[in-house]
Amino acid sequence: MNTKRILVVDDEPGVTRNLKLNLESGGGYEVFGENHATNALTAARNVRPDLILLDVMMPGMDGGDVAARLRADPLFRDTPIIFLTAIVSNEETDGHEKLSGGETFLAKPVDIGELIKFIEHTLSLTSKPPHHAFTRHP
Amino acid sequence: MNVPLQVSLPSVSLAEDRTLPDSRWFGFARTVSGWPKPVIAGLLLGLVIAVGGVDYLTGVELSVSLLYLIPMTLGTWVAGRSMGNLVALASAGVWFGADLLARQTYGHWFLPVWNTLTLAMSFLVLVALLASLREANEGLEQTVTRRTKALQAENAQRRQAEEELRHALGDVRTAHAELQRTQFQLIESAKMESVGRLAAGVAHEVKNPLMTLSLGADYFLNHKTENPDEAQLVQDMKEAVHRASNVINVLLDYARPRPLRRASEDIHEVTENSLALVRHQLNKHHVAVVREFDATLPPLSLDRTRIEHVFVNLFLNAMQAMPPGGTITVRTFASAPFDGDNDAPAGVMVEVDDTGHGITPENAGKLFEPFFTTKPPGQGTGLGLAIVRRIMEIHGGSVRLSNRTEGGARATLQFNTEPKKKP
Repeated sequence: MNTKRILVVDDEPGVTRNLKLNLESGGGYEVFGENHATNALTAARNVRPDLILLDVMMPGMDGGDVAARLRADPLFRDTPIIFLTAIVSNEETDGHEKLSGGETFLAKPVDIGELIKFIEHTLSLTSKPPHHAFTRHP
Repeated sequence: MNVPLQVSLPSVSLAEDRTLPDSRWFGFARTVSGWPKPVIAGLLLGLVIAVGGVDYLTGVELSVSLLYLIPMTLGTWVAGRSMGNLVALASAGVWFGADLLARQTYGHWFLPVWNTLTLAMSFLVLVALLASLREANEGLEQTVTRRTKALQAENAQRRQAEEELRHALGDVRTAHAELQRTQFQLIESAKMESVGRLAAGVAHEVKNPLMTLSLGADYFLNHKTENPDEAQLVQDMKEAVHRASNVINVLLDYARPRPLRRASEDIHEVTENSLALVRHQLNKHHVAVVREFDATLPPLSLDRTRIEHVFVNLFLNAMQAMPPGGTITVRTFASAPFDGDNDAPAGVMVEVDDTGHGITPENAGKLFEPFFTTKPPGQGTGLGLAIVRRIMEIHGGSVRLSNRTEGGARATLQFNTEPKKKP
């Protein structure tokens, strides 16, 4: 099976460490943790992740700014980003609504089973062939 | 600080508007004075000739001569000084004529002429006096009329000023009420803003460590242990994280509720749905549910999920307030339009009654305060009723808690229906 690379950017070392432990223990994922938001772009360039898990509130630079810098780089323009945030309730993210700027938010603390399902779903969407590959019939 | 506005205006007396009625004589004189002068002169001269006739036939000097005063007075009062002079001279002439016709004998031819001249002079003096009196009276009447008109004008101005003052006072009262409302809203919004900041801060500081704990518990849950105690320990940890996370979520939803998703809903369907959500717990506590629904109620514009949240909170509170075997009664009815104004929204009321011990006086004022709870530690966040009130407020409705006279407590929800459109 093709191992997916996931970059976790969160200022809590406990979160990055435990996400790595949980996701890698199931197999199928290689997880890289970054605890400094300002180093996120460099880390992404080094890791070349298939998906990024990004905390929203971090010292130095918030998740929105990190995402904007990543999007500005052609390498990561289409890399899916899932925001993990502590300051929204589950009710606000029910159904994984895209709350702002087309990005997806999950409320902390997230259940690992649910997170894995969501990561798989997101990766399956991005691995589809591009839309223009289909022939349109009138 | 709220200062009640109390201003009252003294009312203006309207007594100055009254005018004095004319006497009968003045009324008659005023009517005749409107007739053409020749007509008046003709009538008066006729009267003088009639008196002359009486003078001639009776021949009684003094008493009959006084009768000439009647046309003279009438003429002067009705038609003025000139008419009076004319009648006075005519009376003297007629008196002289009657004297000649009666062949009164005097010692000298000049005597009757002298008598006539003396009489004419007396009549003219009398006319002058009467005319002066009439003119003074007219002047007085004009002054009274002028002053009455001035008073009426002044009174009208005063009434207008009073009316303007009343309007201004009404505007001031409205502005004052508006100011009080705005002040209250500002205080509320400032309070909610600080609660929101606090909630976000608490959420950030608590949920990040909870995430670490949750992921740790997840790891051990996914790596089954043979020791059942260890497995239970990890499960308990996971549940504790879940419970702590729920408290933070409730706090976040209270401090920063998401926008309402309103739709036209049948309040009875929403109630039934909410009852279905808590049916298991109600059955477990042997709680009976009585429905007293008014089937004629209109649909309401509300966020179904949020109102179900309200009902679930109220039903669970009612259940927890009763010993097993109690009864919850849900009653719906329409409230009358407020203030009898047909354009004002009529309300739909929902009452949730329980058969518990009711609300104690010391708790009555604190029930809606965030984090106030009468439940044992760990069994309630103390945010349930605060959230109920907040959801009702953002719907434009209200909630009230009271004790029933029969015993037990009553929660009364008031929903506004859509205002009627003006044709």
